[in-house]
Amino acid sequence: MSALLEVSGVSVTFDGFRAINNLSIAIGEPELRAVIGPNGAGKTTFMDIVTGKTRPDEGRVLWGEASLSLLGMSESAIARAGIGRKFQKPTVFEDQTVRENLAMALRNKRGPFDVLFYKTNRQARARIAELADEIGLSDALPRRAGDLSHGQKQWLEIGMLLAQDPRLLLVDEPAAGMTPAEREHTTELLTRAAKTRAVVVIEHDMEFIRRLNCKVTVLHEGSVLAEGSLDHVTQNQQVIDVYLGR
Amino acid sequence: MAKTTLAPRKGFLSENPSVLRFLGLLALFTIIISALAEGFGVGVISTSFLKVLGMTLCLCLIAVAMDVVWGYCGILSLGHFAFFGLGGYGIGMWLMYARTEGIVRESLANAPIPATEGEVRDAIATQIFSVVGSTELPFIWGFAHSLTLQLLLIVLVPGLLALVFGWLAFRSRVTGVYLSILTQAMTLALSLYLFQNDTGLRGNNGLSGLQNIPGLLHLPQSTIALWFFWASALALGLGYLLFAWLVSGKFGSVVRAIRDNESRVRFLGYHVESYKLVVFTATAIVSGIAGALYYPQAGIINPAEIAPITSIYLAVWVAIGGRGRLYGAVIGAATVSLLSSWFTGGGAPNINLGFYEIVWTDWWLVLLGLGFVAVTLFFPKGIGGLFDYLVRKP
Repeated sequence: MSALLEVSGVSVTFDGFRAINNLSIAIGEPELRAVIGPNGAGKTTFMDIVTGKTRPDEGRVLWGEASLSLLGMSESAIARAGIGRKFQKPTVFEDQTVRENLAMALRNKRGPFDVLFYKTNRQARARIAELADEIGLSDALPRRAGDLSHGQKQWLEIGMLLAQDPRLLLVDEPAAGMTPAEREHTTELLTRAAKTRAVVVIEHDMEFIRRLNCKVTVLHEGSVLAEGSLDHVTQNQQVIDVYLGR
Repeated sequence: MAKTTLAPRKGFLSENPSVLRFLGLLALFTIIISALAEGFGVGVISTSFLKVLGMTLCLCLIAVAMDVVWGYCGILSLGHFAFFGLGGYGIGMWLMYARTEGIVRESLANAPIPATEGEVRDAIATQIFSVVGSTELPFIWGFAHSLTLQLLLIVLVPGLLALVFGWLAFRSRVTGVYLSILTQAMTLALSLYLFQNDTGLRGNNGLSGLQNIPGLLHLPQSTIALWFFWASALALGLGYLLFAWLVSGKFGSVVRAIRDNESRVRFLGYHVESYKLVVFTATAIVSGIAGALYYPQAGIINPAEIAPITSIYLAVWVAIGGRGRLYGAVIGAATVSLLSSWFTGGGAPNINLGFYEIVWTDWWLVLLGLGFVAVTLFFPKGIGGLFDYLVRKP
């Protein structure tokens, strides 16, 4: 397992507040990784840095076999390089149908003229049907995404992520607002995805993380506090003090 | 144009029956108006009103372009009339030059010594520019002798301006109200520049006599007006078809997604700025073409035509007609601009309240403002949205 993503020595400051402090994380491929930590530990900022939304003050973010630096690349170029992101709040295009949402995410050429002259084909339709089946939205394909339930929107967004066919999925609180049955399905989707690619899940819910059954990274005040199996980190005294003990 | 746009996606028209309905209605309208026009002998519709209708079709075309850039892509451009005006100046230069050339050659034909080409050019320059105290032909008139080159400029100048402006603005991620202000600044700067006498476009005099088409001076205006009316209808039909195709399918899907959440679109891997640039430039070019058809019917163009307020009116038409549906833009532009010329042209009878007389030329703007507020409050989707609601509700 070689490192697909290597974040090393990254720091970022917002108005004097150090959101990320000398953070180093390496993610392999394939791997399922959970990132936990109290509010303000820098979990979302970590994703912002990797996806190009926030530029760090110092440090390196390297990607892939060629150790490409992601710093200085635009958000869209990073996405095309193979990093997909799911936001905390489900952000799907509510005015458009589930099918349109998936079609937009489907891995294809992204240039305006490529898209202008794009013709849907049998392969694309089959892939959309397959994805819809996987996220349990087969019957909802012609429906407006805005009319879906909260959980269905979360799945649609996961489906859009899978449609992008990224090598690394960054998933921010996928189970928020889901019923237990929906959580079960989500766990299944993520663990299956992590068989072939790298998946990083940010989550608050310990029960959900236990079910993912993977390596856990605990963030605190912008740097890594502990790393290892869930049982390992939950027995760490520092982790208990800053997070679990409260 | 229609053929190439239709080629890549078969069955586009069958998938979008509303486009076909619009084109049918437009054709029907054109035929009925033509049959009633003076140029065909029935004469129920005067030539001056026919010109108003032809100009209205051009305004509908720029409104459709505005709807694509604002209603679909979410860029509230308040500067599209700059492109419209540039198109008008583009055609106006040729019209003025060629007509003046005809007059000059005619008057020099009887001279004892035949005039040289240089003397002809000087005489043309004096004719056109004596009003601003110049006898030199400015270098931007270098192509004015050729209709083909000037037609090319009608596409290139608005297109390039939009490309450069858009590239700078979108690259810096200027969005929302800041972008609107920037587009206002663009059209204001252009208008102020053109107001100066030494810019080579006759300052506040503008270009005039554009209703006289060189080479067709023997034809009555009733015929010319009819031709321009047809050309405007054709341009609106083709423009509508082009934009309907553009906003359908996956490109339209991405563009609407940019309107609703542009940063999310970036994380899907789309280079948002390129899409905005394509939409901005394409609509600017179509606006330029609309302007090039409008001003020969209006007869005159001057820098006041591209004052910031005109582009704001354009946004008002589209908002009243209904954003995000192309026929809404057409309904809005046609309704408001026709009502405007009725009220301000003295068509509406003034109302005498005894103690006060409502003079519509003064009160029209108040009425328009109230109408805008009412539409925004009660039908946020505009007249087009109301139309949808009535059609869908059995």
